[in-house]
Amino acid sequence: MAATVKPEEARDLEVLHRPNIASADVQLPAVRDYEQVDNEITATLSPTGAWYIGLFTAVGFLLIGIAAWMYQIYSGLGVAGYNPPVMWGVYIITFVFWVGIGHAGTLISAILYLFRAGFRTTIYRCAEAMTVFAVMTAGLFPILHLGRPWKFFWLIPYPNWRYLWPNFKSPLVWDVFAILTYLTVSTTFLYIGLIPDIAVLRDREKNPIRRHIYGVLSLGWRNSDREWRHFARAYLFLAAFSTPLVLSVHSVVSFDFAMGLPPGWHTTIFPPYFVAGAIFSGIGMVFTIIIPLRKWFRLQHYVTLNHLDAAAKLCLFTSLVVGCAYMVEWFIAWYSGLQVEQDYFWNRIFGQWWWASAILYTCNMVLPLSLFSQRLRRNTTWLFILSIFINIGMWFERFVIVIPSLSHEFEPWQWSGYRPTWVDYAILAGSFGWFSMWFLLFIKQFPVIAIAEVKEIVKPRLKRAPDHLEHSGRRLEREKMPVDE
Amino acid sequence: MRGVIGHFREIDTAVDAIEELKHADFGAITVYSPTPRHELEHVLSAPPSAVRRFTLIGGLLGVTFGYWIAIWVSDYWPLVVGGKPIASWVPYTIIGFEVMVLVGALSTVAGMFINSRLPKITHTVGYDGRFSHGDFGVWVECDPEDASKCEDMLRANGASEVRRER
Repeated sequence: MAATVKPEEARDLEVLHRPNIASADVQLPAVRDYEQVDNEITATLSPTGAWYIGLFTAVGFLLIGIAAWMYQIYSGLGVAGYNPPVMWGVYIITFVFWVGIGHAGTLISAILYLFRAGFRTTIYRCAEAMTVFAVMTAGLFPILHLGRPWKFFWLIPYPNWRYLWPNFKSPLVWDVFAILTYLTVSTTFLYIGLIPDIAVLRDREKNPIRRHIYGVLSLGWRNSDREWRHFARAYLFLAAFSTPLVLSVHSVVSFDFAMGLPPGWHTTIFPPYFVAGAIFSGIGMVFTIIIPLRKWFRLQHYVTLNHLDAAAKLCLFTSLVVGCAYMVEWFIAWYSGLQVEQDYFWNRIFGQWWWASAILYTCNMVLPLSLFSQRLRRNTTWLFILSIFINIGMWFERFVIVIPSLSHEFEPWQWSGYRPTWVDYAILAGSFGWFSMWFLLFIKQFPVIAIAEVKEIVKPRLKRAPDHLEHSGRRLEREKMPVDE
Repeated sequence: MRGVIGHFREIDTAVDAIEELKHADFGAITVYSPTPRHELEHVLSAPPSAVRRFTLIGGLLGVTFGYWIAIWVSDYWPLVVGGKPIASWVPYTIIGFEVMVLVGALSTVAGMFINSRLPKITHTVGYDGRFSHGDFGVWVECDPEDASKCEDMLRANGASEVRRER
């Protein structure tokens, strides 16, 4: 009987048999009932020593970034390594990097929800939280890139009397709309999904203050049939809105480049190329986060090897799409017959920036091919190491997009170099500290796995055999009922 | 509000009780469950959610506002750049789309809150914390004279606990 499999036995069985399960059919054989779900998932909320160490480390990195930013505000943007004509550097690279990280969260939570992919259930909460915090991090970088950051609201194109011309044909204005919409909708999506889980925490909480806070945050959710009915419909529509939003946001980010004229930028493949890259990088970050989490929180029977296997297939697919985009770029440069474009690509791959291109292609095209092996797809150590390489590779992809184009434009006087300074590195490290701090705070206040959705997979208690539930000629979902074999 | 609440440990017994209570027609039935279940949805036969109307209206208002704000502001600051029209619909589609998603999504949430009657700031008669954990609750509104019959019906169908509330 599947329902009596113990967590450790389930893991052993998975490792031994390595079943090739369709992503829609990923189940949780070691999760028996609703009580187990509540007890095990809410147990992850108790702070531990390792969590405090992680939080203090994250805050330490954040403080380093803040100190560097203060120094930059005092001294001017020149300390950030800009070297005309290279006036976009680490900040814009890191902005695109973090926006991209966010995309996999929405892919997993919204797009895979619409496709009914079973493996998303236990990983989507982490991915969604990752999206919100990644977009929050990305949103800082256009402000960090400003000489007078306290005038950041001048970016917002509302009608005004300050002699500013709101140019709705500018990709930077599109960015404002796209990023703010994305942040609002992903935060809403995360919060709406959390409401039933917060109600579970409220009903279990003994501490009156925490209980009251959870009560306010759950908005008085009662698990009634009326609430579930409207919740399910609203969640579906939010997922339906988020799906084209994901595609649009990174397309808009790619327009920041594609609307410009520098060689390597002015190309129509940028929107799909950026969207695929964003999803690829985000899945890499999901692995970086979820693999240690499932181990530390002992949630291996929730985020099973089958879940990771299915996610790794998605990672492999997006890697192949991204690799294809790289090759199309080379082809376009060759086929265009434009000397400037061809020189630029030669310089990017074999010239001045060969090392960055080598890192990019190795991390994003070559190493992910290992995921064709099922043994490696189910090896968590390798998946974690690979995810770090993917993170590095995707940061360098944006480096290779931004820097070589700006440092090798049309005429020789526009050819230069670029070297990030300690301020750039400190702010980059600070962004990881900022992201990690929010994520670490999140995982100790809210469940990292969606309790209500896991309960949907778990078979409810029955008094009789499932056939009894065939009411009034209606066909009920038998496959969701437990059957003693 | 007066009625009877029955706690059920098993979903099939809860479904049986709901079916019988519906047949007896004592009053409105509310079911509490830790997670949405199709079995309960089918037996309750509730009408489709009205949230979709909020989504549609919000989306249409959003896209209209997005185009309008871009066109109006451009007409207010009429600088010709590159010989392009002042109000150019192709780039403004991005603004229209993003605002459609923003307003549509927020209207969807508003629709959910209005239809679900959230937020609730008072205690709900009959609700028990165990319903978010693992039990199923069936609340039936009924007159005091029918309460005994309701209680009997809930118990006969396997309720582990039955009580009157008001």
